[in-house]
Amino acid sequence: MAIEVLLFGQLSEITGADKLTVTKASSTVELVQVLHKQFPNLALANYKLAVNKVLTEGNTVLKDADVVALLPPFSGG
Amino acid sequence: MAEKKKQTVLMQGPIPASFIANSIAKHSSKTNIGAHSIFLGQVRTDVVENKTVLAIEYSAYAEMAEEKFYHIRESAFKKYDLICMHIYHSVGVVKAGEMSLFVFVSSAHRAAAFEACREIVEQIKKEVPVWGKEMFEDETHVWKTNT
Repeated sequence: MAIEVLLFGQLSEITGADKLTVTKASSTVELVQVLHKQFPNLALANYKLAVNKVLTEGNTVLKDADVVALLPPFSGG
Repeated sequence: MAEKKKQTVLMQGPIPASFIANSIAKHSSKTNIGAHSIFLGQVRTDVVENKTVLAIEYSAYAEMAEEKFYHIRESAFKKYDLICMHIYHSVGVVKAGEMSLFVFVSSAHRAAAFEACREIVEQIKKEVPVWGKEMFEDETHVWKTNT
């Protein structure tokens, strides 16, 4: 089981990485718990999750090779 | 709907005025067009805590952003009577005074072009995973927030 985690904007500054691999997470809630434990400042940030490029809300089941992106508020344009 | 093919929206660096001019010129052969509506987003020298923004460095979740741009484009073609549409957004550093967003909508009559252009710009700001890092003269930065 390997979940690829992508981090953007200020979130990659908080974690010092724009890509991470998490091996023990069967859902987005678990994944967020793992990440917040590893990077406590991430818990203070405002972001949404996209699983395989689709925004998700609530808990989503994850399977091997899923790509989860942590997206801070958009500021394009 | 002649140009409804998939296009790449994200382009590296600022959008040159010459690129915009060329884009306009290319439409002279499409004589069913009666109205073009163009939005240009330009990087502004905002002042945050007495520091002036010199440039914005844009980054994107490119794959998801292109999908969102595609979706925005498709829904605008469904909703409005448009002849063609082009969207370009910068990634990388764009200095103050340079352009970072170019939305170009063409229709037979002005109402559709005006309305679609505005709606597309609002959707881009709200729905597309692009981030702007506002860079100051002292090499510090803040992350831009859209209002």
